[in-house]
Amino acid sequence: MGKRCFTEEELRGYNGENGAPAYIAFEGRVYDVTRSFLWQHGRHQALHTAGADLTAALSEAPHGADLLEDFPVIGLLIETG
Amino acid sequence: MARVAREMVEKAGVDIDHLVELLVKNAAAELTTYYYYTILRVNLIGMDGEGIKEIAEVARVEDRNHFEALVPRIYELGGKLPDDMKTFHDASACPPASLPADPTNVTSMLNVLVEAERCAVRGYTYICNMTAGKDHRTYDLALAILNEEIEHESWFSEFLGEGPSGHFMRRGETSPFVSKFLR
Repeated sequence: MGKRCFTEEELRGYNGENGAPAYIAFEGRVYDVTRSFLWQHGRHQALHTAGADLTAALSEAPHGADLLEDFPVIGLLIETG
Repeated sequence: MARVAREMVEKAGVDIDHLVELLVKNAAAELTTYYYYTILRVNLIGMDGEGIKEIAEVARVEDRNHFEALVPRIYELGGKLPDDMKTFHDASACPPASLPADPTNVTSMLNVLVEAERCAVRGYTYICNMTAGKDHRTYDLALAILNEEIEHESWFSEFLGEGPSGHFMRRGETSPFVSKFLR
């Protein structure tokens, strides 16, 4: 089955607030981090919020993309610009 | 609050609210890790478990020391600890170091311990990077804690067969780097 496609605007709705799932995008893939202790309420380390493309932000993080492997890929981010 | 000290940090370009939130989250990680390590330590039994118990105990005590060392800096910078302990627990910068399903499996126990230390190493590296050359006192504190967290990681990593730690464990006193903040 194909992956669901998200626009950036659609992704913004999955910000983990008020019971919404928390999704983040990295290099075109959309990950579900809702169940992560470190993404409670869609916030991560007082800096990042879910519902966003964090590809650029990850280069500043004190960890690599390998940590994302713990989370399911639930879709793809499509560019609309 | 140390008003001028806070002003100096702000003036140096540090997002102080972000920094204080990170310090609170890492203080929560230290205290909760102290709690979870207590459970891990008492379950390190038998021929294999007993061999790890002593370093788990040192890491446990030093993590409590890290909490004690972080709290004054949080208040100096105008922050505070949450009133509610559950809020504090859930704000932790690291996931709970929970007892694995099979506590008699020493490898599982070591994986919990080493992952907790790796989370801490990442967190303090970030704080050091954020404060270097800008907030000297927080940098000094975060670097001292980072030194101890790296040693903890390397001890557990050595037991997992990932390679030598390159140093001996503590001989007597704990927190060789952080103790200056505890006096």
